[in-house]
Amino acid sequence: MANFILRKAEPKDVSDILRLIKELAKFEEMEDQVILTEKDLLEDGFGDHPFYHCIVAEVPKQEQSVDGHVIIGFAMYYFTYDPWIGKLLYLEDFYVMKEFRGFGIGSEILKKLSQTAVRTRCSSMHFIVAEWNKSSIEFYKRRGASDLSLEEGWRLFKIDKQNLLKMTDEE
Amino acid sequence: MKFNICAAKPEDCKDIARMIMELAVYEKMPDQVKISYKELEKDGFGPNPFYQCLVAEVPEEHKSKDGHTKVGYALFFYTYSTWKGRTVYMEDLYVMPEYRGKGMGKALMATVAKVAKEQHCVRLQFSVLDWNKPSLDFYLSKGAEDLTAKEGWHFLRFHGIALDNLAQEAP
Repeated sequence: MANFILRKAEPKDVSDILRLIKELAKFEEMEDQVILTEKDLLEDGFGDHPFYHCIVAEVPKQEQSVDGHVIIGFAMYYFTYDPWIGKLLYLEDFYVMKEFRGFGIGSEILKKLSQTAVRTRCSSMHFIVAEWNKSSIEFYKRRGASDLSLEEGWRLFKIDKQNLLKMTDEE
Repeated sequence: MKFNICAAKPEDCKDIARMIMELAVYEKMPDQVKISYKELEKDGFGPNPFYQCLVAEVPEEHKSKDGHTKVGYALFFYTYSTWKGRTVYMEDLYVMPEYRGKGMGKALMATVAKVAKEQHCVRLQFSVLDWNKPSLDFYLSKGAEDLTAKEGWHFLRFHGIALDNLAQEAP
């Protein structure tokens, strides 16, 4: 097998993208945390001010998945900024359906993303991985990624909407 | 002490670059700062800004011992969560040591929260070094949650040569 193409996502792909987002969330054991809808993805990715960019992996109809899908992988990314080194490419989600793994699709997606990063003069490509996800960490480390949480001690924090609103009310 | 929080202007980039370096020194990584005020100007105030910035300013009579009136900043940008949608990522938050304890850090962060609310963002994210107790205490008091501790997220990156190698990798 391994007959596939990578292309920029189009508005018609949002239903598949959401399906794959939910599959990845399920793997990360956080499926119930996905509150995003197809409408959000459409507005936020294909409106006047895109909040993200997306590439999809597509196989020919004769090689569709067991459930009848031809969009079998995706990567969502956007540009961020490091005040020390400038523009960065941030990889938010990266996923290939289980039945299509081992054919080089993931590697090809990563290669395409890194080419995009170099072409847009980004110094680095950043992303986060859950520490229990050993197979993904190995996949990235084999390709030269470094773990900044281990090497430099960075910890990721969040402040949710409720506390954000409290902060704005306090001022 | 009276102070003002306002959106940064191109002419503020020299002050912002100065404070970026001060923060890098505090974080024990000054040799990692590779860009100057020129890149900050180009990347923040061109047709496609890669970041937003707020500056804390004091009146002339309260200027620092080195003669500066721009004494704090917050640098942030929009990101996207495939689970929740629009997010703000606060990359840097800094107030010069002699101006701490006067509410400027709180005011900078509350203004970032206000912008997040106006843009319908559901979450504010940022990272903190694990040894930085004063900052950890400040953020936890505002309702922040440590996702690295709680969910095991680690920051990874492909940087410099590792990124170039990935882009050139044969399929």
